[in-house]
Amino acid sequence: MFDSLKKKLQNVKTKFASNIEEAAEAEPAPQPAEQPAEPQPLPAPPREEEAPAEERDKPTLFNKVKVLVRDREILLQEKDIEEPLFELEMILLENDVALPVTDEIIARMRKDLVGRHKKIGSSVDDLVTSTLRSALCGVLGEGLDLLDYVRESERPVKILFTGVNGTGKTTTVAKVGHYLQKNGFSVVIGAGDTFRAGAIEQLRTHADRLGIKVIHHQAGADPSAVLFDAVQYARAHSIDVVLADTAGRFHNRANLMNQLEKIRRVMKPDLVVYVDEAVAGNDAVIRADEFNRTVGTDAVVLTKADMDPKGGAAISIAHTIGKPILFLGTGQGYDDILPFEPRVVVNELLGDGT
Amino acid sequence: MLDNLSTSLKDAVKKLAGKTVIDRAAVDELVRDLQRALLQADVNVKLVMQLSQAIKQRALEEEPPKGMGAREHVLRIVYQELVRLMGTPGEVTLGPQTILMAGLQGSGKTTTTAKLARFFQRKGLRVGVICADTFRPGAYDQLKTLCDRIGVPCFGDPDETDALAIVREGLPRFRKQYEVVIIDTQGRHALEEHLIEEIVNINRISHADHRWLVIDAALGQQASEQARRFHEAIGIDGVLVTKMDGTAKGGGALSAVAETQSGIVFIGSGETIEDLERFNPDGFISRLLGMGDLKALVERAEEAVSVEDIDVNAMLKGKFTLRDMYKQLEALNKMGPLKQIMSMLPLGGMQIPDDAYDITSTKMARYKVIMDSMTPQELDDPAIIGSSRVQRIAHGAGVAPEDVRDLIKYYKTMQRALKGMRGMGGGKFNMQRMMKKFGRTP
Repeated sequence: MFDSLKKKLQNVKTKFASNIEEAAEAEPAPQPAEQPAEPQPLPAPPREEEAPAEERDKPTLFNKVKVLVRDREILLQEKDIEEPLFELEMILLENDVALPVTDEIIARMRKDLVGRHKKIGSSVDDLVTSTLRSALCGVLGEGLDLLDYVRESERPVKILFTGVNGTGKTTTVAKVGHYLQKNGFSVVIGAGDTFRAGAIEQLRTHADRLGIKVIHHQAGADPSAVLFDAVQYARAHSIDVVLADTAGRFHNRANLMNQLEKIRRVMKPDLVVYVDEAVAGNDAVIRADEFNRTVGTDAVVLTKADMDPKGGAAISIAHTIGKPILFLGTGQGYDDILPFEPRVVVNELLGDGT
Repeated sequence: MLDNLSTSLKDAVKKLAGKTVIDRAAVDELVRDLQRALLQADVNVKLVMQLSQAIKQRALEEEPPKGMGAREHVLRIVYQELVRLMGTPGEVTLGPQTILMAGLQGSGKTTTTAKLARFFQRKGLRVGVICADTFRPGAYDQLKTLCDRIGVPCFGDPDETDALAIVREGLPRFRKQYEVVIIDTQGRHALEEHLIEEIVNINRISHADHRWLVIDAALGQQASEQARRFHEAIGIDGVLVTKMDGTAKGGGALSAVAETQSGIVFIGSGETIEDLERFNPDGFISRLLGMGDLKALVERAEEAVSVEDIDVNAMLKGKFTLRDMYKQLEALNKMGPLKQIMSMLPLGGMQIPDDAYDITSTKMARYKVIMDSMTPQELDDPAIIGSSRVQRIAHGAGVAPEDVRDLIKYYKTMQRALKGMRGMGGGKFNMQRMMKKFGRTP
């Protein structure tokens, strides 16, 4: 998963590290020249208890240099990390992290690194990794375990799937249905996509194969009515989860968004799951934001993550709407769905398990 | 967010305006904003970097052609480079042909197939469609429903699992009966080797004349890699961009064009079967950058013949006559809507009242006719135009007297606006330069 991003992040880590090392090597050298009055401070070994109080009180350049040299620490300067930061920026952009999100990650890295003291000898790698990790973790947030959620909620749990055209809502509904069924929950699907030709047939075929009941009306029917019926059916048959498929729609179509808003009013979903594809570029941010604002979003599913995904869309969407990612869709089979755990992903990206 | 971006791009362009020497810092800023705009539009990062390098180099090294200002020069370079990136629009022949559709899952192949069938049908060709998607449930139903609506025959079998068998069976039959045969295929991505193999085989047995790649406008940096592998597999010779009716900018399509050395053939921009447009590079560029029609501006700037210089100083003194206005209107005619041009000028804080813009091109033409019926004295000194002169002018121009009064009112508005400018702060030098710009280029 996310292999290319992973490889590149590894490279840039090394780059950060070497630049910082260089800075570290370059730093102590000019000190004696700057402070010729100071009698040979270099050989002074690090002895903490020696730092006198009055010196600490006056943060003059002189004192700073003394501290610098004594503790053999270096102060990271902006110029030391300029180049690797630019490189990181390019990597993020190349991996479909949307521009505004990239800007923010870079800003966070810069803020965290510049002005940081680094003790010579402590691992530069650790410093960079931990900064990058905290930046990414901050962006990805916490995950959400659907099974726990269903267990803890009142039945039937109503889940509404939204998203633009062609992101894989119908397939995702089938996969989630299968996943819940496998974990011992009963499921019914509401065929709320009454617009696209063949959508109901598609959903019925999936459901037949999985042995899930589908509630559907004619093509062109009111989706709210279909989904309302699906909820009623679940109540009557004490079914655990209702999965509501909807027609794909663009967020800039007011009428269709109003229709979705009506669906939400009528079926009162517990979870609104926004489905988008992992290969989407910058637009992912715009539409996720728009969906979140008009009909609300509680969680996100990213599909098509098997297409050598760059992983950027996950970062962009999670950052923009601040909602957890529930699943990754990773193929065409019903089992190709992975619960998303941000920490695992970040660890994998940064290449260690701590 | 996007608005901010295009505003900052416009600002960067504005900074170049009115400069005679190209300023490195201004170019840098323009290129940086351009980069951001393109990256945000999902254009491949490497392409963006190449493009900005080329623009920077050309803008700083090439001498602007005589009589062309710095802004026009740079804009022209930007435009030319963008056009180069865009490739030539893919060719569409209106004759017997077989078209094979390829693309990722959910990119809109089936919908686009139906739209294409409609396109060729409207051009008077007999069209047949083959559904070679044997995987996705409901795929045949979907295509069949769409085709039934436009009365195009659709060959397929929802129970058959071998796409090759369908093509083998349907294609010879359809080729005999129909001029254009379009083969819809299952969505696949470049890492699914057996599926790539399948489309290679379909391509081999169908001997398709065209192999078109369908790209979702929202596809990001992945576009380039996917397009490359599709191209390696079957030799893509055209790109279709779908879902351009959303907010996605379609920059991914450019990566695909670059990788396949082909061109964009069509743009899909809606959910009904008619929503398919031939590709227009200029519209596409405007959308990428989120600003007005760049080409039109560049062309206008190139064409704008040197109108007799309007006496800027006299105008600043408030001596703005109908004659000046006539010249302005004439110049404007060559440049397009006033507001659009004004937005490109370095007017800074200057606000031209909105009603000054409120003049349509038909009105403008009428104003010119009216002014043609005026005597030189009247043009130089509009104050002498009394009601009997209004009657005469209206009669001569074949318009109602109200129109003549309308013109005079408009003239007065402009005059007031100009006087207002004079009164407002800002150094005189700036003012004059701005006015010159106002007089010359618009």
